Amino acid sequence: MARDVVPTTATLPFGADPEDEVGVDLASASSRVWRQLRGDPSFWIGAVVVGALIMLAAGANVLAPYDPNFAIRGAGLTATGDPVGPSAEFWLGTDRLGRDYWSRLLHGARTSLTVGIGANLVATLVGTLIGSVAAFAGTIVLGRGRTRIALPVETLLMRFTDVVLSLPALLLAIALVAISGPNLFLVTVVIGGLLWTATARVVYGRMRLLRELEFVAAARALGASSFRILWRHVLPHVVSLIVVYATLGIAAAVLFEAGLSFLGVGVPPPAASWGVMISEHASYYRTDPRLLVLPGAAIMLTVLAFNLLGDSLRDAIDPHGWR
Amino acid sequence: MRPSPRRITVPALLALILLLAACGAQDAASPSAAASEASGDGGTDESQPASGGGTVSIGFEGDIASLDPSQGYDYISWPAERLIFETLVTYGGSTELVPQLSTEMPTVSDDGLTYTFALHEGVSFVMPDGTVHREMTADDVVFSLNRLLSPNLTPAPSPVAGAFYTLIEGGQAVVDGEADEATGLVAVDDYTVEITITNPDLTFLNILAMPFASVVPADLATDDTEAFSETPVGTGPYLLESRTIGESATFVLNPHYWGDPPANAGVEFRVGIDANTAVQQVEANQLDIMGDPIPSGMVTSLRDNPDYDDRIFVFQQVAVTYLSMDTTPPDDGPLGNVLVRQAMNHAIDKDNILQLLRGRGTVAHCIFPTELPGFNPDCMPYDYDPDRAQELMDEAGVDGFSTTLYTDPSEDSSAIAQAIQQDLAVIGIEIEIVTQEFDVLLGTITTPHEAPLVLIGWFQDFPDPSDFYDPILSCATAVEGGANVSWYCNEDNDALAAEAKGLQDVDQRLAMYQELEQRVMEDAPWVPIYFPATDTFISDRLTNFDPHPVWFVDLAKYGVSG
Repeated sequence: MARDVVPTTATLPFGADPEDEVGVDLASASSRVWRQLRGDPSFWIGAVVVGALIMLAAGANVLAPYDPNFAIRGAGLTATGDPVGPSAEFWLGTDRLGRDYWSRLLHGARTSLTVGIGANLVATLVGTLIGSVAAFAGTIVLGRGRTRIALPVETLLMRFTDVVLSLPALLLAIALVAISGPNLFLVTVVIGGLLWTATARVVYGRMRLLRELEFVAAARALGASSFRILWRHVLPHVVSLIVVYATLGIAAAVLFEAGLSFLGVGVPPPAASWGVMISEHASYYRTDPRLLVLPGAAIMLTVLAFNLLGDSLRDAIDPHGWR
Repeated sequence: MRPSPRRITVPALLALILLLAACGAQDAASPSAAASEASGDGGTDESQPASGGGTVSIGFEGDIASLDPSQGYDYISWPAERLIFETLVTYGGSTELVPQLSTEMPTVSDDGLTYTFALHEGVSFVMPDGTVHREMTADDVVFSLNRLLSPNLTPAPSPVAGAFYTLIEGGQAVVDGEADEATGLVAVDDYTVEITITNPDLTFLNILAMPFASVVPADLATDDTEAFSETPVGTGPYLLESRTIGESATFVLNPHYWGDPPANAGVEFRVGIDANTAVQQVEANQLDIMGDPIPSGMVTSLRDNPDYDDRIFVFQQVAVTYLSMDTTPPDDGPLGNVLVRQAMNHAIDKDNILQLLRGRGTVAHCIFPTELPGFNPDCMPYDYDPDRAQELMDEAGVDGFSTTLYTDPSEDSSAIAQAIQQDLAVIGIEIEIVTQEFDVLLGTITTPHEAPLVLIGWFQDFPDPSDFYDPILSCATAVEGGANVSWYCNEDNDALAAEAKGLQDVDQRLAMYQELEQRVMEDAPWVPIYFPATDTFISDRLTNFDPHPVWFVDLAKYGVSG
């Protein structure tokens, strides 16, 4: 399995760039992708919903009629201390403290999408890095002669991935957040730090296939460095996969954040997140299901939209039909 | 009792949902099957004791911490312990003390230091399998109190040994490991016990009525409290039949009980049942009593249901929930300024908080709860007045600041904390809320100056104002691990408290405590928020239910019909 990397810094003869001959033609590929996406209804549904969600979240400050964290003491609660239902004043009613529910949903979208997208950025970067380094580094030999040390980078990285994969993610996240106290940044990093394994394994698997192919051998024969082969020749073939996993992962991260918040280790109060909103109103499931259904539906819609988008991207981007 | 949350912890909730699938199925099968058997087939009635009825079930989210009376110190363990064990004196239907194992109230010497108890004869310790172990004697009483003081108990000494029972002469020496037996505990003969205390203290009998002072058999209760908790042997009306940790504990009648038999044939504690599920089970008559309060989201709908008019009980607790402020912050922070603390007292809208809690409680203006002897309805130093609060902030020259509030993650605590957050923001105080599981929270807030603001409750150990000063506001407890989480220390107040405690004249004594209360409130170490009430929901088949002012539930008194 382990391969020695051919150490070379040589440039190509005649100053030619090998990509000109053997690289992927990205321009024609992207127009083909667009042609396919254009005719795919699930792409449009996913894209429109995702776009709308992002705009709602980004514009929450403007769109929210009330401060999402401000309890409206008089009108926001009934005389018995219960939340009020939807009305012209509060479009979706109020929550258990008398805060406007529509405003909280909008700001909750901001939290959920920030965590979802942020965590996936982390997960995608880490996962791609580890997966591709593992596939291309093989065993690195350090030193020479009697002091040679063979460092099985590939094995080390992938077994490390297995270890992270085997950790009980939710428990670990709860422990990490409980130690340092909840905040949005930490929640994002923790979720990202646990979600990268899937990306790493997929990238690694695809790259191991690719590295045996003729065009890689050709590039190597022309004297391209490992990094160059990886960056210019192999990565473009894997981008489709990475994009798909990133999109699908957002759904997972949104759910993960909701789970953490439901367990009381998500964003700190009074900040809104969909998970917090469900958790806060757990005891209202029978008396005022609106309080649970609305954030629940928001989570469902987001997950569904990102999944539709991810699926249609996968279908469109992957010209080779590799699954 | 001790700082206590209203236990509806969300993290526990999810884990419990998983457990409930199993519990639910079983709950449906066992007790209701037993009940229908009893009513459907007349023949089985003869096998029931004369007191009749079936088994009363009570549900809790948490589990019984310990059945060893030296250990348990919470609202689940105490009612369970009281089924098996008895004390020299106890509370009747009210906060008034009555004799239990003692034939009558003790005679007290003129100097108020020596209490002489005459014990009932013919009281037996009964093993869990229903066999008589032997008769209880004065030696067992002496042994039980010495055991409570002992530092050798495993895995840990009693949580209150050093707090209440060192009042017994020589008790401190036992706690310190310098003696095995307190000199103040003497078995005069088999049925007479003499207890000497170090200072005259009217609350001593209250202390003896706490389940900690239960009488246990000298030859069976070893230092291993976990073993004794598994096989508890006492003189009480019930025996522990079986217990599955995290699931249930079943108590059956003691056939050799010396006193009046209970009104039911047994008691079952079902634990690991979250409050939402408990409501459903009580509605279906599968559970008789909710041990935890009704979740706030369900309160109004249950109250509005006319069928439940006589099945919902609200019970004013002898407790206070308060916002504690670190009165001596190490960095000379603004909370050290009494004007700032007074401003915070004016800034918090307590009526709003009561509304959020569905009116379950009374607004607190001072320290002593409404049901406590010494409650002073005229003690009202700070009304809700944001303008006055701002004036005081200006007077203090404090522009506003940021600080952190610690509390537990229960539904109610988080609602109150967020209401306080909004109120204090008005006078420029920005609060970050940190919620911690209750056990973790206790560690944080009893570490000196770790938590600037704490939202917490204090529940009575016994109905006397000293229990609302000594453990939580005196200099002696403003130490690491102590419950004075405001780190408040005023030696003049301590001197007044000591004087009040020693007074034998009840009226004079309470008046002195009220003066103490006023003085403490001037220093404003707390913002008293409210005196909590708890509520419960009972099944249709439960009879004689009546919340007890000290114990909340007095399970031996309740019967079940049909």
